[in-house]
Amino acid sequence: MTSEAFVHIGSHQPRKEDARLLTGHGRYIDDIVVSGALHACFVRSPHAHAEILSVNMGAALDMPGVVAIYTGHDLAQWTTRHRMAPPIDGLRAMEMDTLPTTKVRFQGDPVACVIATNRYLAEDAAEQVQVDYAVLPAVSTMWQALASDAPRVDNDLPDNLLSHQHAVHGDVAGAMAGAHRVIESTFSQHRQTHLPIETRGCIADWDVGRQHLNFQVGTQVPHPYRTTLAARLRLSESQVSVVSPDVGGGFGQKIALYREELTVAAVSMQLGRPVRWREDRMENLLASSQAREDFCRTRVAVDAQGRVLALDLEIVEDFGAYSFYPGNYLARVVAMIVTGPYRIANYAYDVKVVLSNKVGNGPMRAPMSVTSWVMEGTLDAVARELGLDPVAVRRVNMLRPDELPYTMATGEVLADVSPNATMDGVLAAIGYDSLRERQVQARAQGRWLGIGVCNVVESTTYGSKFYKSAGIAGSGHEAAWIRIEPSGAVNASVGLGATGQGYETSLANAVADGLGVSPADVRVLLGHTDIAPYGMGSRGARGGTAGGGTLYLCAQQARTAVLAIAAHLLGLADAQALRLLESRVQQQVEDRWQDTALNLADIARVAYLDPLALPPGVSPGLEFHLTYEPPPMTYSNASHACVVEVDGATGAVHIERYVVAEDCGTVLSPVVVEGQQHGAIAMGLSGSLYEHIEYDSATGQNLSGSLADYLVATSHELPHFELIPMHTPNRSTPAGIKGMAEGGVMGAIGALSNAVNDALAHLGVVVNQQPLTPMYLRGLIRQAQKNPNKAST
Amino acid sequence: MNEQRITLTVNGRNIEFEAEPRKLLLDALREDCHLSGTHAGCEHGVCGACTVLVDGRPTRSCLCFAIQMEGHEVQTIESVGTPQKLSVLQQALHECHGLQCGFCTPGIVMTFEAYLKDHPEPTEADIREVLSGNLCRCTGYQNIVAAIALAARRMREASPHDQ
Repeated sequence: MTSEAFVHIGSHQPRKEDARLLTGHGRYIDDIVVSGALHACFVRSPHAHAEILSVNMGAALDMPGVVAIYTGHDLAQWTTRHRMAPPIDGLRAMEMDTLPTTKVRFQGDPVACVIATNRYLAEDAAEQVQVDYAVLPAVSTMWQALASDAPRVDNDLPDNLLSHQHAVHGDVAGAMAGAHRVIESTFSQHRQTHLPIETRGCIADWDVGRQHLNFQVGTQVPHPYRTTLAARLRLSESQVSVVSPDVGGGFGQKIALYREELTVAAVSMQLGRPVRWREDRMENLLASSQAREDFCRTRVAVDAQGRVLALDLEIVEDFGAYSFYPGNYLARVVAMIVTGPYRIANYAYDVKVVLSNKVGNGPMRAPMSVTSWVMEGTLDAVARELGLDPVAVRRVNMLRPDELPYTMATGEVLADVSPNATMDGVLAAIGYDSLRERQVQARAQGRWLGIGVCNVVESTTYGSKFYKSAGIAGSGHEAAWIRIEPSGAVNASVGLGATGQGYETSLANAVADGLGVSPADVRVLLGHTDIAPYGMGSRGARGGTAGGGTLYLCAQQARTAVLAIAAHLLGLADAQALRLLESRVQQQVEDRWQDTALNLADIARVAYLDPLALPPGVSPGLEFHLTYEPPPMTYSNASHACVVEVDGATGAVHIERYVVAEDCGTVLSPVVVEGQQHGAIAMGLSGSLYEHIEYDSATGQNLSGSLADYLVATSHELPHFELIPMHTPNRSTPAGIKGMAEGGVMGAIGALSNAVNDALAHLGVVVNQQPLTPMYLRGLIRQAQKNPNKAST
Repeated sequence: MNEQRITLTVNGRNIEFEAEPRKLLLDALREDCHLSGTHAGCEHGVCGACTVLVDGRPTRSCLCFAIQMEGHEVQTIESVGTPQKLSVLQQALHECHGLQCGFCTPGIVMTFEAYLKDHPEPTEADIREVLSGNLCRCTGYQNIVAAIALAARRMREASPHDQ
């Protein structure tokens, strides 16, 4: 399916979305005017873990503008509980109320909802709602969670171990026993949050006459969201429309139906009035989905050349207090794909997911973010322990092109990837060998340069088979429709939810080439459940293959139909010698393509207005619909190389150079792909250096409730990214698309940590946790300088 | 509630409305002036999404009250260009893919519409320093920086006599 010569796929076009967004005419949730709308504000728990003794709203109810105040007891009547109980081995079922009625489980847990005539007045009243609590001891770390006497986060579970899965592939114990060395490494990734610049928000408008809920919300997954919202309101899916307008960033935070959103919908139904809500930034930091926070330990058996004989991986993830996703949803993927581009037949993993008194976890751009750091950091440890060059250790373990497709120990199949090429590409670009010489010279002058390499195999498009084999509930299919209107204009839709990826531009290229029109003539409609087909939305990096691929196939189906009509109108026996190019029907005469008298508008006019002229058996109109199930998994690959200088006096990390070679197959829009690469690398670097959702280890208080506490890299801290694009098409997807957008995070986390370790190698210390703050690095340096016998020169 | 009559001069027009003295300029622009291009990103002065010009200077509209702005000239993103006719800076952002979700973009446009007037020849380091007052979660900033440099060059070329 990859032999097509593309006209628009892969060509540079500025985005269709830009004009409105640049001029302040985008339409985000909070920009939508709904007359008579009431405003919601939530009363939130100041405690990490506490019983709710009483909620006294007397004074607040009398305040100006206040219409109503509701608690969890009200919501329990109007909505169903949330049950997360997919039939997965090792995963415990979890349930939660719409709003807590008996106890709160993290600081920021919503306990009541104030409805007032404007946001200021709703906030005033929320401050006056008096809630009495009996404070309980909090579980603030994953290690506390696992302690035998730990307080239980969920009273319905016997302990805090939400999920425990393990597997052994091959003879791990035997290989460990006979190995030259077994080397152990640990990796602690800290808690972070997505931080879209637009916070969450929604508008619920219950139409009493039609018994219909119009629900506007920024969401990545309009249809699955509607399914959940309707069920929890005890409505049919025909009674709910979910409409997602322009969305100011998602990164995984805008997938699940949040309790606040469900509350706003239920209240609108109760009051028969529109109700709207927009969280403020503190709420976003205290109560919107958080992510990461996992501890990984590897034990790797190697021979004297650093060849991996067996790998054992242990993961513990701190999942927070509630199960908005199945507990194994994030960490299990890490375990499935951690071996990446390496030949590792003997492999075992053990994955524990624990509950704590923190916000519930969700997927954040690269939910498997830690994967590449773990694998590449492990190989760096091998190099360090055996006195080998880190690149040499990678080379002896990396799959050669002739070994592909390669079935990983976990059964996942790696195909159409090019790790050798990307690694060679970045090493050549940064001048690896001469950098090593410069590093030695710099060290002699007291300057600590470090070089970090990180190879990435990014799982991009999750097919239904992968979900099944990973023990995760879900489908990987996608749906599309294309309608060629009577004028020849092309409308198209797919079930993705845009949050800034430029779908209106890149997906138009897929339709344009599948059909044979100009992207300028294609309008892509997204984010409305009454308009778009039922698709699985935007998560992972599925937009390209699942979204673009489905539209491409649907457009090809449309082209076949259009050309069949054209052949009939031209008096030809079939359409074999016809094609559609830029809406013109062309005929091949000998080896040249010539315009015929027909174009797409002529065909459309016949299809709609003169159906008797259609070929026998062809139905009127030009409407096409298609669903597509992608392969079990598609993989993109990349290699990152990072040069840093660590200031020994301050612990500051300066990134001198950052180079990435990335192979993401056929790209729909190179400018969009480049933007996604930049954004992903930035998120990885920012997370590794600064971002930290920190909970007080004694009280469970969230210490990162403002952007003065939750630090994000700005333009000043981030380097210039040098990109080397590579394009090995995937042979089993439409147009050879692979998908991308998360690998940059994976690579950045690993490359930066490896570079810092390389810079500090002469001190004999190893960075094994993030963020790499000056305080953390100074601590390590100070410790090394106190014990100079461990250091080498 | 203690609503007062407030008159703002926004994009060259006088707009009168009733609001409490505590109402933020940001909210007044969005709700009372019906100009929703100015966005609320953090409401504590860090992210820069709400940046407007007050008497020509970039200002966080989430950190001042509407009533304080009486007698001042407020300019919002709606005064800069139109979807049909982008400003030089907006056009450069479009060509360089300097925006993705677009939520932070109006604040960046307002910051640099003002900055480039006074600093026609910024270096990349200058641009990165000034841009550090605006958070963008999508782009990694690189294409924004490139767009601002391109816009500066085009502005210089369009009015060489000003230098």
